Amino acid sequence: MLNIALIGAGTMGQMHASNYREIEGCRVAKVYDVVPEAAETVAAALGAQAVPDVAEAYADDIDIVAVTCPTPHHAEYCCQAASAGKHIFCEKPLARTVQQGEEIVNAVSDAGVIMMVGHVVRFFPEYATATELVKSGTIGDVGMVRTTRINTMPGGPGSWFQDYEQSGGVTLDMIIHDFDWLLWTFGKPKTVYSRALYQHMPTLDYSLTSIRFESGAIAHVEGSWADLTTFRTSFEIAGSNGLIEHDSTQNATFTVQQRQVEEGLAAVQVPSSPAKSPYLVEDELFIEAVAKGNQAPISVDDAFASLRLALAACESAETDEVINL
Amino acid sequence: MSVNIGMISFAHMHAASYAASVSANPDANLVGISDADCERGKQVAEHFETAYLQSDEALLDAGIDAVIICTENVGHKEKTLLAADAGKHVLCEKPISTSVADAQAMIDACESAGVQLMTAFPCRYGPAYIEAKKMVDAGELGDILAINGTNRGRNPGGWFVEPELSGGGATIDHTVHIVDLMRDVTGDEVATVYCEMDKFFNPELKCDDAALITMDLTGGCIAALDCSWSRPPHYPIWGDATMCIIGSGGNVWVDLVSEKLNLYQNEESSYTWVGYGESIDYALVADFCSCVEAGAPVPITGSDGLKATEVALAAYKSAEAGSKVTLPL
Repeated sequence: MLNIALIGAGTMGQMHASNYREIEGCRVAKVYDVVPEAAETVAAALGAQAVPDVAEAYADDIDIVAVTCPTPHHAEYCCQAASAGKHIFCEKPLARTVQQGEEIVNAVSDAGVIMMVGHVVRFFPEYATATELVKSGTIGDVGMVRTTRINTMPGGPGSWFQDYEQSGGVTLDMIIHDFDWLLWTFGKPKTVYSRALYQHMPTLDYSLTSIRFESGAIAHVEGSWADLTTFRTSFEIAGSNGLIEHDSTQNATFTVQQRQVEEGLAAVQVPSSPAKSPYLVEDELFIEAVAKGNQAPISVDDAFASLRLALAACESAETDEVINL
Repeated sequence: MSVNIGMISFAHMHAASYAASVSANPDANLVGISDADCERGKQVAEHFETAYLQSDEALLDAGIDAVIICTENVGHKEKTLLAADAGKHVLCEKPISTSVADAQAMIDACESAGVQLMTAFPCRYGPAYIEAKKMVDAGELGDILAINGTNRGRNPGGWFVEPELSGGGATIDHTVHIVDLMRDVTGDEVATVYCEMDKFFNPELKCDDAALITMDLTGGCIAALDCSWSRPPHYPIWGDATMCIIGSGGNVWVDLVSEKLNLYQNEESSYTWVGYGESIDYALVADFCSCVEAGAPVPITGSDGLKATEVALAAYKSAEAGSKVTLPL
């Protein structure tokens, strides 16, 4: 049985904890959060122990530390966990700065532990299938790639998400998903230029990023935390021999509407998918890698490369300069 | 009263739609067509039941009030100067020219001849665009902070891929429509241009077929435009024209070709989109005709054509230099 210590009992922490309950051979043993009540609530629901001191997350009986706290604290906890010889799952982005990212890469390499970062888009079947089509040469040499990832401003008033200094805005926090998928699918980037509206946080953030890859391909990444409706994504990949398109609003496999019977309640539309959650796939693959002592399916180096690209886009947006990578 | 229109050249495929728009307009007459390609000229004249004239001079002398010019891009200047000299108003196909100097010469010639020069930007007449513009003007979207546009299409081939006739490739062809809307909706000019450009989809081409332009506008709005010929030859429609507008008070999406039916036929892989939206070409030509008749100023000027073309030219400059370019050039 692999014992997991969860650091960060927010939305993502709870989601992963719920996945760990479904995966055989692992369990959440300890939960730490800077807000002790949050740790207690989540721990109680899991039958785990809420710990008041993060040092207990690195105790001898713990095999895996899952870091699901706000981004600026990833480095501190990941480095501590690595030094204690723990395997690590960390939510994206790897860190808030390049230096922090480097510290994690070094700590993990020195300790020889297994680490995976939650670049879950690789496990979304529409993206994975597109990557397969590209890599098999189905659409020839790829020229133009366009991605869109649209959401409302996350977090409530005062949330760390809404503070650019902490979250890095939509460019670092959300479209790093697209950056990671682009690097995975199209290889190394050469130049990046980005314009963004992070100055308008916490009301909204929005960014338009242009990337040129060493392969010659050009990518355009649109990220929005300016939306007022629901989360959605789209992408298109244009090659010398064809075009791939996907739009999440056009490909719902399952839509449910429930007519409420109680007085005073309006009918609500609940979009959902009966397909297996990509987050569960991600957590299963990580637990399997640790159980077998294998490399994680997404390397820390990959996560560091995605971080560097996202931070280069942030830097470009801040300075209005074209960044050569 | 009705307006007498002549058409110079059917080199650009939009000419057919403009001719149909003139013919269908109860307040306009298609008096005649001149075309350096004699065979093409006779054919379209017969189709539109109008006269074919052997020379532009003969057309300009045929009792017309105005001309619609649809030559290859490099020919716009010569024909416009000819028309201005004959005292005829001009509706010129986009891009207005292949250089800033040519566009300026056209503007100056029309001004000193006392005739109007209108640039053919039919997207301004898209009902979805008009609605967006109304909302912006009424302040319902607050400050316009960002615009993400696309004008992707299929490679049109022919003279469009001959830079000596078109002035470039996809970028000169597809930048101007959406840049014009960006300028019109914000009331601002493009201040800086950064462009990644390449030739991806047909290795035989002598010109660019892909470009991604990132811009700052003078009012602080950020913007991007994909003007690539990235649609494969059998894509169900020629292309698109879209804008996502992010404002401090709300967001708007404009898609000028979304009104369509899916049509599948028995031929192998036949899948086509059949549009049922209003004809923006008809609205453009009708507006030009009514301005000519009323002596009212045209809503889309030669200067609008110049400003949009300048952005396309800046994109070429940026791509070559690998750096941001500041406007005006």
